[in-house]
Amino acid sequence: MAYDKPLPSIDYDSQPFWDGLRAHKFLLFRCRTCGAWYWPAAYCRFHANEPFMGEMEWQSASGRGNVFAFNVHYRAFDPAFKDDIPYVYALIETDEGPMFGTNIIGSPPEAVTVGAPVEIVFEDHPEEGFTLPKARLREGTK
Amino acid sequence: MITGPQPGKTARLVEAEVARLAIEDAGLDRSQVQGAIQLQAVGGKGLAAASSDAFPRVLGLPVTFSYRMSRGGGLAAWGITSAMSFLELGIVDYVVLVHAGVEYSRSRAGKAEGKLGRQQALKEAEGYWGTPFGDLQAVSHHSFLASRHMHEYGTSSEQLGSIAVQVRQWAQKNPRAHFYGRPMTLDDYLNAPYVAHPYRIPDMSLNSDGGVGFVLTTEDRARDHPHPPTWVHGVGFGDAMGELWWEKANYTQLAVKPAREHAFRQAGITLKEISCAQLFDCFTAELLFQLEDYGWCKKGEGGAFAAEGHIGPGGDVPVNTSGGLLSAYHFSDLTGLSEAVLQLRGGAGERQIHDCRFVLVSGHGGEALSPGMCSMHSTLILGNEQPQSR
Repeated sequence: MAYDKPLPSIDYDSQPFWDGLRAHKFLLFRCRTCGAWYWPAAYCRFHANEPFMGEMEWQSASGRGNVFAFNVHYRAFDPAFKDDIPYVYALIETDEGPMFGTNIIGSPPEAVTVGAPVEIVFEDHPEEGFTLPKARLREGTK
Repeated sequence: MITGPQPGKTARLVEAEVARLAIEDAGLDRSQVQGAIQLQAVGGKGLAAASSDAFPRVLGLPVTFSYRMSRGGGLAAWGITSAMSFLELGIVDYVVLVHAGVEYSRSRAGKAEGKLGRQQALKEAEGYWGTPFGDLQAVSHHSFLASRHMHEYGTSSEQLGSIAVQVRQWAQKNPRAHFYGRPMTLDDYLNAPYVAHPYRIPDMSLNSDGGVGFVLTTEDRARDHPHPPTWVHGVGFGDAMGELWWEKANYTQLAVKPAREHAFRQAGITLKEISCAQLFDCFTAELLFQLEDYGWCKKGEGGAFAAEGHIGPGGDVPVNTSGGLLSAYHFSDLTGLSEAVLQLRGGAGERQIHDCRFVLVSGHGGEALSPGMCSMHSTLILGNEQPQSR
């Protein structure tokens, strides 16, 4: 069955992030000078940067966070998502700080609450050549 | 300046790098640079039908200059601010500013052909995030603002509904409003199915066909024309990018603070002098946030404030007297600007605000990154008396 959902935008700025996902690693962009974490890749806000963000690099992150906000889609705006209805689309606050948007899978929508702890899981699409980061509710106090 | 081949790099990255170089050359700290303009070549290259070139031709005006501006929903504010430069430099005497769209008809045609959603490319827009996860419409991420405010402050569905209901009441007094003749009760709202919970259809702004045009000129020329002029008393801007884009507060407030401070300082008035407000109501939560952020009520109390009936006909803080983007027509902040001009001229008929002297028009929008970060905000203060010298 052909994959007919929109494909991610993978470009020069985000290629290492998507390569990491295929290796089942969740990477965030980090400043070696001051330790600040970013997503997506961006110049560091807190001090002068080296040419083309030379002092920043993609580093392994915990893949853990909490639900900061979420919605439940009851309508498919594209037929490719019809079978997923109702689906949860959430803003995850990673343990490192940056927000990250993805679906929460593996639980009914009623089980999702703001503040719930989640972890990133990897959804492989080998024929399309990418792995999507999704989230799953996890046990935990934080 | 950067020259020479840059294989694989995005234009966005090179823009950010020449910004870095310019700031360094000027001897500035990054924290000092609070304005940024992206200058992007449009048209040419044989793509002669690009709209930036066809626009002046079709217009049929003897223009010395014309260009396109866009950034979220503060179009009137951007346009006025930039047109003022040309007027003050004496390059032209009059500037016409226009906004129009046919989104209503276009989306209906798309649905009829079974192409709902398919007008979007199958690939996520460059530099953006979300469509692979089903973030396909504005409601797919604007709903995060409602979700977060409900979590932090206990705002309820009924309170969001009270906003939609009151704005709809204003539309009943505007024969040009989409929902003229179609009132809505709170029960109607609560029975409307969820689209992206917690949002229902009545929480979401319209797609409209139509447009608004206005002419801007200098104060010394303002009285030479048939209608009483509307004066620009203040204009200000704010952006969530003033902080980190994921700053948590950006999900329960809009970037109102710098925008209102600039605009009210220029105008020399306070909130009390505002006769009515035209607040950018792309969704009900954005309107609620502005009630708090402008200071009509405290942060967190916007839901209760709205539910008390302050903003509808008969209320003491009339908001979106045309019916707004929710119930009248979506022309970005020109919906608010056109209503402000009508009110200030005394031409708003059945919905005329008594002794209308100052109107606040806000603009909002422009995702810094999908999901969720709708970042810019603009404040325009318009009045029907000439400002005293600044």
